[in-house]
Amino acid sequence: MNALESRIDALLAVPPYSLSPQDKEQVFLALLKDELDYGCTRSAVYRNYVRHWPIDPRAAPRFADLPYLPVSLLKADPPFALVDPHDIKKTLTSSSTTGQMPSRIALDSPTSRRMSKAVIAIAQDFLGQQRRPYLVVDVPSSVAQGPEMGARGAAIQGLMPFASQLTYCMNSDGDGSLVLDRDKLVMFAKAHRDSPVLVYGFTYILWQYLVKSLLAESISLEMPKVHVLHSGGWKRLHDEAVDKPSFNRGVAQVFGCSTERVIDFYGMVENVGVIYPDCAEGNKHVPAFADVIVRDPLTLEPVGEGKRGMVQVCSVLPTSFPGHLLLTEDVAEIVALDGCRCGRRGTAFRFVGRVPRSEMRGCSNIIRRRELG
Amino acid sequence: MTELIRNVDSPDDITAAAAELRRILGTTSTTPNQILDVFEAWCSALGASDTADLPGVPFLRLWLRRNTLEPIITKELGVGALDGAWVEDGRTRLKAHPVGVVGHWPAGNIEIQPLLSMTCALLGGNTCLVRIPKELRHITSRLIDKLVESDRTSTVTCRIRLLTFDHARPDLQRAMAQSVDGAMIWGGEEAVSEIRSLPFPPWARLAVFGPRISVAAMDVMSWSDPANREALCRRIARDVWQFDQQACTSPQVLFLETKRGKSTGDFVQALRSAFEAENRAHPRESIEGALTSAICQARAAWLLQDETNSAVFPTAPDWTILVGHGSAIPQPTQGRTLTVLEVEDLYEALARLDGNVQTLGLAIADPEQEIAIASLAASHGIDRIVPLGRMHVFGPPWDGVDLIRIMVRMVRHLRPVE
Repeated sequence: MNALESRIDALLAVPPYSLSPQDKEQVFLALLKDELDYGCTRSAVYRNYVRHWPIDPRAAPRFADLPYLPVSLLKADPPFALVDPHDIKKTLTSSSTTGQMPSRIALDSPTSRRMSKAVIAIAQDFLGQQRRPYLVVDVPSSVAQGPEMGARGAAIQGLMPFASQLTYCMNSDGDGSLVLDRDKLVMFAKAHRDSPVLVYGFTYILWQYLVKSLLAESISLEMPKVHVLHSGGWKRLHDEAVDKPSFNRGVAQVFGCSTERVIDFYGMVENVGVIYPDCAEGNKHVPAFADVIVRDPLTLEPVGEGKRGMVQVCSVLPTSFPGHLLLTEDVAEIVALDGCRCGRRGTAFRFVGRVPRSEMRGCSNIIRRRELG
Repeated sequence: MTELIRNVDSPDDITAAAAELRRILGTTSTTPNQILDVFEAWCSALGASDTADLPGVPFLRLWLRRNTLEPIITKELGVGALDGAWVEDGRTRLKAHPVGVVGHWPAGNIEIQPLLSMTCALLGGNTCLVRIPKELRHITSRLIDKLVESDRTSTVTCRIRLLTFDHARPDLQRAMAQSVDGAMIWGGEEAVSEIRSLPFPPWARLAVFGPRISVAAMDVMSWSDPANREALCRRIARDVWQFDQQACTSPQVLFLETKRGKSTGDFVQALRSAFEAENRAHPRESIEGALTSAICQARAAWLLQDETNSAVFPTAPDWTILVGHGSAIPQPTQGRTLTVLEVEDLYEALARLDGNVQTLGLAIADPEQEIAIASLAASHGIDRIVPLGRMHVFGPPWDGVDLIRIMVRMVRHLRPVE
């Protein structure tokens, strides 16, 4: 395990967007194979899954041929872990639809440490190394101290290493609804008007509670050196007919910055430590220690440039849960397999949406069994 | 392309179509024999190269044959019903009369279902208002073109109106329900519940064919016999492939009776070969991402659930065989995913089935044992017990209901004593 950890750390130390796909394939493939082997030694049922994969993982010529798990299999309680329960330091939970079980991601100390280092490496590539005032468009309780942490808390905490000081600008009212603390927001803006500032919020919260109301009153916070990072689903914004360009324009107008400073990043708790911020070309990139495969739903083969399909995330970071190769229910388009004009190497893609939900069809669709007798 | 299928956008269009059908019903009459002549011609026309291989067409053609339908009509409606005559029974005379305009709400997953449903009501002398799900419009249109071509006297075509409209438009659904005297409703739970709750006239007769699943079973003698193994596996594959396993007749589970010292390994490998061959013959042309996702989840969940479970599948979502033990039926995945469950005692496994199961496909070597198993299954709510390979063959009774008789009024004339 120590040797494996050293090799993961070595890949983590590589500048995140410096490897060509060819250079990456061999080192990434070998590491993932060894991680699969390690996972198999830690879980009999995981071993059973890998054993039945149609391609022998050891003989697989591409990492796209290795056994991937559907991400929904991580919706388990207790979490599907590859470490003993007493080694689990924190459990991350995904946001989930009401009534649905969230994903539970068991983190031990090594995985947790790698997760932090990875987020810093990616964010530094976009923001630089400097610490700066950090405004969180959320409530402090999102980063609750305890054994479990939600997706919002994980994202907020992931950016903490860039903070020289921390300010939350939302409150919770009596019934738990979010309320913007406008005085605090304005004070923060005045205090840091001319300096680099980091702002983070969940996409919908940022829009609904801050941008929308300030736009309506034509208020600008005049923070030209801000970087506004946001993540989370677009569904509710699409329901309000807000697309990405209009979102970016609205945020830029309220903060008084250029739209290039509004950065959407795609991430999921199951893919801990890996975030996918938009580059200046509007594309998302994969770092050296992770990758994204977009698969054709008809064949499950990787698609080429310009094609859409189901997103598989790959990462060498986790050793505490089987999250190396996860088939998500997201849809993306491969923009380029290498050579984005922003200069970052490797796959560039764009997130398109979710796989449309579809109930089982037809007369064999027994949602609820008849009660007999 | 036929103009018999009309897209409607207003309740008035539906009401007018029903009124026209009611007028035709009052001014014309047909006998089952006349309709059978048209069906026979339609069956021949469907054998043309442009339609013969469309999904479900072999089953539709089998159903339309006079040899298939004549005995059914005689059995359900009585001797003499073919010519529309009264059937004498002492002082009593009986004759089948149509219930009137019959509305059809087929499921969107079975390509030939709108037409199968319609033919049942037509044979009872009814006129038919058929809602064609939008996903079936194209194929239905191609099949109906062959009917138009075969029905030179408009014996049948004048008695049908095929409509497409948005299923989410309650005003259109209500208009159709209010216009009919009978309804044949097919589909999944949500669809069936919504349609049943429409404001049908109080006299309307409803035949509901709701959601059910089907299973198959083989005794140890059948699956372990190398001479028959390949043929049986081919039949199972055919049953799984038809209608992409979305039909209520599609087997979701195959029970294998086991015996100490007999490994099912060779059988599973033969099944794999049969699935591969069927997939080569009938590859998918498209798939929804949600189904691909469900198939991947089913594979992983099965293998992660129990380390003694096994599975065989290709990298693509083309087909999946999940192998395990026990008699509990897992939630169906569809998409050519067959769960093979080894059971020590077939009787015990089948005794746990209930009315959620519609069809039991069987391969039992001993005829006496087969009769015993059929009786057991019937007493536990299963309505069809058929040999493997024939699970989708359409015929009455269906869900325990006579398909033609359900939409006729058996009129009784009791003559006075002389």
